[in-house]
Amino acid sequence: MAGKAIWKGYINFGEVNLPVKLHTAIKEERVQFHLLHRRDHVKLRQQMICAYEKKPVPLEAQVRGFEVEEGKYIIVDPAELEQAEPESSRIIEVHDFVKTEQIDPVFLEHVYYLEPDVNAKGYNALAGALIEMNAAGICTWTMRKRTYLGALQASGNILRLTALRHTDEVISVKSLKLRKIPLSEKELKIGSDLINQLTAPFQPHKFEDEHQKKLRNLIDKKARGEKIAILRPRRLKPTAPDKLLQTLEVSLKKVA
Amino acid sequence: MSRTFVEIAGKRLSLSNLEKDLYPSYGFTKAHILEYYRRIAPFILPHLKDRALTLKRYPDGVEKEYFFEKRCPSHRPDWVKTAELRHNEGEKMKVCLINNLEMLIWVENLASLELHVPLARTGSPETPDSMVFDLDPGDGADILDCAKVAFILRDLLSKLKLMSYVKTSGKKGLHVYVPLNRKETTFEDTKKFSKVVAEVMQKNYPDLVTAKMAKEYRKAKVFINWAQNDSKKTMVCVYSLRAREKPIVSCPLEWKELERLAGQGAPEKLQVLHSEAVSRAEKQGDLFRALLVKKQKFPYL
Amino acid sequence: MAEQAIWSGTISFSLVAIPVQLVKAVEPGRVSFRMLHNKDYSPLQRRMFCPEEEKIVPADEIIRGYEIGPDKYIVITDEELESVSPERSRTIEIVEFIDMKEVDPIYYAHPYYLVPSKGGEKAYQLLVEAMARTNKAGLAKFVLGEREYLVAVKSMEGALALITLHYSEEVLPDKDISPKEKESEAEVKSRIKKNIKNMMADFNPEKYANERRKKIMNILKKKAKEKAPVEASQVEEEEVEGPADLVSALKESMRKVKKNR
Repeated sequence: MAGKAIWKGYINFGEVNLPVKLHTAIKEERVQFHLLHRRDHVKLRQQMICAYEKKPVPLEAQVRGFEVEEGKYIIVDPAELEQAEPESSRIIEVHDFVKTEQIDPVFLEHVYYLEPDVNAKGYNALAGALIEMNAAGICTWTMRKRTYLGALQASGNILRLTALRHTDEVISVKSLKLRKIPLSEKELKIGSDLINQLTAPFQPHKFEDEHQKKLRNLIDKKARGEKIAILRPRRLKPTAPDKLLQTLEVSLKKVA
Repeated sequence: MSRTFVEIAGKRLSLSNLEKDLYPSYGFTKAHILEYYRRIAPFILPHLKDRALTLKRYPDGVEKEYFFEKRCPSHRPDWVKTAELRHNEGEKMKVCLINNLEMLIWVENLASLELHVPLARTGSPETPDSMVFDLDPGDGADILDCAKVAFILRDLLSKLKLMSYVKTSGKKGLHVYVPLNRKETTFEDTKKFSKVVAEVMQKNYPDLVTAKMAKEYRKAKVFINWAQNDSKKTMVCVYSLRAREKPIVSCPLEWKELERLAGQGAPEKLQVLHSEAVSRAEKQGDLFRALLVKKQKFPYL
Repeated sequence: MAEQAIWSGTISFSLVAIPVQLVKAVEPGRVSFRMLHNKDYSPLQRRMFCPEEEKIVPADEIIRGYEIGPDKYIVITDEELESVSPERSRTIEIVEFIDMKEVDPIYYAHPYYLVPSKGGEKAYQLLVEAMARTNKAGLAKFVLGEREYLVAVKSMEGALALITLHYSEEVLPDKDISPKEKESEAEVKSRIKKNIKNMMADFNPEKYANERRKKIMNILKKKAKEKAPVEASQVEEEEVEGPADLVSALKESMRKVKKNR
């Protein structure tokens, strides 16, 4: 079941003004560990420690500083930061529409389902139009005192809103400073053939988090006082550059 | 299961599965392993003597599961020498002592490829006879970085009038030892001393060295693990094989030799194979002999 | 390389194995503030603290525990954790390739880049180019820290991007919020389509600037003009602690060693 509604507002563009409710679309569960002190297993807490006194500092004695040069700070009051808060608003304002495939997955942050609120006329029409045109609305909305950039999309008969990262939050590929290595057409051809041979339809249901189960098993085993066998991680021998073509050829023969 | 019987010093040993390949990607059978330890025995035995052995057994070879065993296996011939130790909470535990060739062959027949021992002997479990700096490269650093750190460490220690000795870990790191051999020394001393040294190293070479255990601090740096100076910790014994793809040995090197090998800029030059370890030892003698006899006192403690 | 590696290992497809490192692809674009002590503006550091001993606990005294009852924990070591899925903790094995168009974007969780380690540059480049040419992405599972991730590895502007995917059981069903009415008025739909058509543009993320960041920077600039910044009291980071004589002897020896090198 979709999570409960966390926000309400209106999708707005052209003549569309559609009341919707936001629901969380993803729920993650994982084994939770605590950090303990080795000698007596006391649960540790993270605290803000004064670098000078080496003692924890209570919340009311903490101030926020912006470092202008090393060791020099401008102290900022929370009240002053409030000026930077967006005015509260209930509008999901669509600025542009783009082809969905133009949005690289690296920008996608968090997905919400949009439920039609009362008197939501045109919900189905909007969802249908977006699907038929393969379009996503680039929009902004304000929630929890923050303005979000988002993509309004449809899947099936449901509208979705995906928060997008700002471009200054994405690290550019250029900054990785990758060297370009020349490849022969033959290597590329065999590589591509191999990939095509190994292609299958995407079936997310095929995959489950086996590790999580195994981890719970290990904890149970340890709780019962059983011995845990230590296994070394498997490491593969890298393919040498001069063996690449040969390895690709053998691989292709194996699958073709 | 195939069995072979041998007699050493009047003790009868039953050796099993001698043909089993325990280093399959290199091709090194249990018979090879026994032969290695037989030849290295005169050099390794003085370092194992009277120390509580931790067995690290690879019954199905280095690519499969292994087991740590601190307790001496209960199915043992009656001539196997053991010592009784107090485990945590006062629980008593029998440990193996490898004091002669037959003991060494016996544990190797159990496929305990790696031999790990504490820095103190069972007679005086709180008195370390040496101090160790375990130099462990984090992701992005390698054994050549460890060598750089080792040289600085050697120079720093020598300024404090402490001689140090180095061996390869047989994995990716180096171990620098300082012989002490004084009954007044405690683990508290060695830990305190090594910690300060590690922290001074970190402060002066922050891009190369960390004294912190947490993995996030260790990236591309050499972690000086000073916390090995503890009565509960063990180090892989000098001349022990390591369970890697190849039978590589934790092998002592002369400082000059380390300089020469590191100078070639190839990390693999610092991996000493079983055969080379034997020929080095037979030619040069035990480079770690000082660890057994040299007395050194800590300044400023 | 600019970014610090989060993980290092191998990525493989069929018989080809490429040594790689995992690095960040995104960074929260928030203005970063430092928390200070109001007394003397000493910087504050996040540290693990033992509430019983009231002491900062150094990293080497911290262990990982799973709570099985009030104040009862099962301790799990790094080695044990790595033993849970040893075949996946150092290897990203591409089990099959997929057409990224088939992936519902709801599955995308978090992006990273993979960069080649020494010796892997050529095979890396091959995977980048062959996936770009075939328009395919590799699907793999691998373990990072305490979790196992399903990931898609795709070609992006000459690099490999690794995007973690949600498991299908983590995607909540949307049936219960779907509209009661299934009909959509054809006329309304065609009007909406016209609206959309008029507003079609190319996706240009730079167009939508981070307004909050801009505003905060403006506030800070204004303040910096009005008032001189405060100065934090000088603290040497992580002062070496130990017997004073030993520490000073070591410092002095270190100076000499450094001079001779």
